[in-house]
Amino acid sequence: MFLSGLQVLLQWQNFLIIPLGLALGIVVGAIPGLTSDLGIILCIPLTYGMEPTMAILMLLAIYCGGTYGGSITAILINTPGTSANAATLFDGYPMTKKGMAYKALSMALFASTIGGLISAFALLFLAPQIAKVTLLFGPAEYLALAVFGLSVIAGVSNKSIFKGLIGACIGVFISTIGMDGISGTTRFTFGNLQLMSGINLIIALIGLFAISEIMMKSQYNPRTDKKVFDASSITKCKITKEEYKRCRKPIGIGSLIGCIIGATPGTGGGLAAFIAYNQVKTSSKHPETFGTGEIEGIAASESANNGACGATMIPMLTLGVPGDGATAILMGAFMIHGMVPGPMLFRDQGNVLYAIMIGLIVINVFMYLIGSVFTRFYAHITRIPYEILGCIVLTFCTAGAYSTSNSLYDVYIIVIVGIVAYFLRRMDFQLVPILLGIVLGPLAETNFRRALVLSDGSLSIFVTRPISLAFLLIAAGTVLLFAWKTARAKKISPRPR
Amino acid sequence: MKIKYNSEIISGIVFLVAAAILWVLVPSQIDTLETSAVNAQTIPRIAIGGMFLFSLGLLLQGVFANEKKVVILNRSTFASESFRKEMRSVLYALILLAYIVLLTFVGFLISTALLVVAILLFYGVRKWYYYAIPLAMVGVVYFVFKTLLHVSLP
Repeated sequence: MFLSGLQVLLQWQNFLIIPLGLALGIVVGAIPGLTSDLGIILCIPLTYGMEPTMAILMLLAIYCGGTYGGSITAILINTPGTSANAATLFDGYPMTKKGMAYKALSMALFASTIGGLISAFALLFLAPQIAKVTLLFGPAEYLALAVFGLSVIAGVSNKSIFKGLIGACIGVFISTIGMDGISGTTRFTFGNLQLMSGINLIIALIGLFAISEIMMKSQYNPRTDKKVFDASSITKCKITKEEYKRCRKPIGIGSLIGCIIGATPGTGGGLAAFIAYNQVKTSSKHPETFGTGEIEGIAASESANNGACGATMIPMLTLGVPGDGATAILMGAFMIHGMVPGPMLFRDQGNVLYAIMIGLIVINVFMYLIGSVFTRFYAHITRIPYEILGCIVLTFCTAGAYSTSNSLYDVYIIVIVGIVAYFLRRMDFQLVPILLGIVLGPLAETNFRRALVLSDGSLSIFVTRPISLAFLLIAAGTVLLFAWKTARAKKISPRPR
Repeated sequence: MKIKYNSEIISGIVFLVAAAILWVLVPSQIDTLETSAVNAQTIPRIAIGGMFLFSLGLLLQGVFANEKKVVILNRSTFASESFRKEMRSVLYALILLAYIVLLTFVGFLISTALLVVAILLFYGVRKWYYYAIPLAMVGVVYFVFKTLLHVSLP
């Protein structure tokens, strides 16, 4: 089966379509507001006339390229192209501010490729075994997973834990706006029909990060604050051997977490990246450097989100359950091409399936090659004067927000959320807890309510199931470890009076 | 008038008031027919309640623990450099708000072109090509979204 799959893959058309899909995915992923989901949807009609292997490989290339592409804007302009790259902001943008954009972009590409490769191998060799483990996940386990994700707040709220917790509450509150998925009751819509569908995650992301960042630059003075970059020095700052060595562990942890979280349906690369970042920071000997431009932070988050790419295909291909939005669309594409994902697929069209799974490895190799050529060009974006860059980013944000659901209403939301986020930033609030609340709020709420229905209202369900208990204990352990490390750091270096 | 403050006090008060208002609004804004103890109101109540408690904690931290800035309000305060900087942010926010109003009535092309000009004037830009590049980009974005992505911008 493996060899016949390889035979199906080794056709010149496949090697032409993969770079095309990747280039498209990287562009779409890098534009805030446009996601790889949209790229896949737009390209499905183009694949109608293609062979199934070629068609799925193109769409997979867009998916992987999009997940990597989102890191480019996260690093360069403090705006993640997709929600999966939000954790890359922590250290990516500080590195750009230090003039190390090229190094940050190179690490994002390297970590994305390794994460993607490990994930592709996991898909190829471990798919049925991983699928069996994720089948054990019930509502209690999902809630515990969401709580585990929320424990990241402790790590990103170094300055004030209260501000971090308020941010998370704001995020969870925002996520509840609109129609309740379980009872159908409208919540905080104030009679506005547009608010019935709630606030889209991508829209919130553009407002929180892109618009607030543009607002932060309102006090920028082109005459005095302008940084003059030497064109030749931008690409000189390369990753050293020592840094590659240092990043081995973060990439390993990130890829592993990416595979596990990605294989769990209903989660996705964003959650994987946050958890990986948090774990790497907790286990680091120098956690205080995270958030100030630490290359290990980029390695962890980018290996995790691309590590989730191949893994999200595991439940889809083995059980017929899509892992996230992009795989749900991919599942539709499989069906269009006469393949129904599920256990029977391995038996009926095993050769095509193996061609696709081996193809995912090829996609990641191509991603590294294409990325390495273009990274040096992306790095020069930092040379564009902010007056011009700000205008261009605003133009893309407006068009991207409008295209999410062809509604002006989304443009109003990004501007309002952006202005509010700006004032929060001025009051030393971190935006990431808000984002975590928005991302994890629905996952936590739905599964909290479902679990309580199953247990007749008893909270003991969360501690009597071993996987749920394990996640809750790890979350508690992470928070306590952070508290202890912060207290120790304060003891060692008391504030100067 | 002499005022002592820090960001903890200001944000603590703002979110304390906001949480109190939202808590009062819950019954009217979430009119659920569910009779179970855990219903559509539960998570919003936990989030709002949490916001209230943590804001209270933040306020107390600001009042008792952290250092405070002292501002003496008089005429010179409004003429100071920091006040002028804050006003620049307010002006920028007003430009963005004016843009979304304009976008509703005149569409993407004209309103975004005007926004670009307004922002460049805001920064005091004089070079003509600084205007030409982002203006051309507005056209390119409009064209790409319309023809390649099939998104008809307003």
